[in-house]
Amino acid sequence: MKIVIDRTRCVGHARCAAIDPELYILDDDGYIASDGFDVPEGKEASAKRGARACPERVISVVEED
Amino acid sequence: MVSSVELVRSVPPHVPTSRVYDFDFHNDPLYAEKGDMHDAFAHLLSNAPSMFWTPRNGGHWVVLEHDLVAQAMRTPEIFSSVRQAIPAMPVDIVMPPIMLDPPEHAKFRAPLNKAFSPKSMQEISASVRELAAELIDNIAADGHCDFVGAISEPLPVLIFMKLMGMPVDRLADFREWVHQTLSNTPEREIAYGKVAQLMAELIDARIKQPQNDLISRLIELEIDGEKLSRELLLGYCQLLFIAGLDTVVNGMSFAIRHLARNPALQEQLRADPSRIPDAVEEMLRRYPIAMPSRRVVQDIEWNGIELRTGDLVLMALPAAHLDSKAFPDPQRFDLDRDNVTHITFGTGVHRCAGSHLARIELQILNEEWLKRIPSFRMDPDKKERFHAANVLSIDYLPLVWTI
Repeated sequence: MKIVIDRTRCVGHARCAAIDPELYILDDDGYIASDGFDVPEGKEASAKRGARACPERVISVVEED
Repeated sequence: MVSSVELVRSVPPHVPTSRVYDFDFHNDPLYAEKGDMHDAFAHLLSNAPSMFWTPRNGGHWVVLEHDLVAQAMRTPEIFSSVRQAIPAMPVDIVMPPIMLDPPEHAKFRAPLNKAFSPKSMQEISASVRELAAELIDNIAADGHCDFVGAISEPLPVLIFMKLMGMPVDRLADFREWVHQTLSNTPEREIAYGKVAQLMAELIDARIKQPQNDLISRLIELEIDGEKLSRELLLGYCQLLFIAGLDTVVNGMSFAIRHLARNPALQEQLRADPSRIPDAVEEMLRRYPIAMPSRRVVQDIEWNGIELRTGDLVLMALPAAHLDSKAFPDPQRFDLDRDNVTHITFGTGVHRCAGSHLARIELQILNEEWLKRIPSFRMDPDKKERFHAANVLSIDYLPLVWTI
């Protein structure tokens, strides 16, 4: 599973990091610090919840075959 | 008092009769009739068009539905933040960053992002907790309090005044001024003058002797290699005064009012305080208090509605969060709600810069209050008081508990 983030549209709610601060790393201003990542095994549910918590809806979950 | 008649405007030709609905967001009789401001917005959702034009307060649109509010706030090319106040500002002043659009907005917003980042707010959480405990301990043995005067006013306002560098002994004056700046009466202009004078004095004092506070930081701030003009610096400080002195106060009051009316939820959170962050999110979802506004800067048909340059638009966030298309059974407070992704702090680039401070303060308040005060309820012998403006405010919240 992959997380893809449309970083330019992040406005700093920081809800993803409130769900999982290890997956969703913020910069010093509290905005998302990455464009996405491969989800480590066992962290899928947390990654999905983090994506869903984004009020801007700029985090997508890409399921791989 | 300006009579409301002077603020009434005739319906402009591009607005069809089917979209006209009479609603005065400052003083509508619906608020008193329902006895609850959020219930009034729920009533509008069922009875008024999803986006309507009201002739009150100079004439403006009101957006009720969640999807429309979210779209509008994310589209600054149509819905600008420049000269967006309803009614129009009584004085010619630009308050960065809230009254700026992209791309200028981001440069002015940057210092706030840093000052109010989740990390910076974690660093002040111990001092928030200490003040919360002290204020609650002051009244715990009384068995009753006006929650606004005792807790929700001093707690966030004192914290903010210290961050800002404002004299904390003038809390009562400043709270009066902030209500006046948000009113639609002639006092509004006078209050803006008072805030400007106060901020000018504080800026002069910090220029002579910088402190570790927000005013000093803004004086030092450089944008494109230049410091802010006196005018913009003053506008920026005026905005922070208004934004910092009224919002969390009401967020706290609505949260504790909900608990006072729901003893089972109090028990649940006392038994398991780890649910308090979830409860805070649902309190924010159920009781938004801010209604930002925008000004249309294009002649455009938007979602089937004709808009004209200069139209003013009120984003009714309290209504948007009671829209059943976004939140099933929206009036029910549901700690286990499937979707708690709210936009109570706004959406788009103007997301409330103080949101991380507000969340930490609300969480700490709930923790310390529930730890120190036994089962509490609304005082049956006294009557709560509230008023509406761009911020929905509880003025008096009488509570009782058994000691």
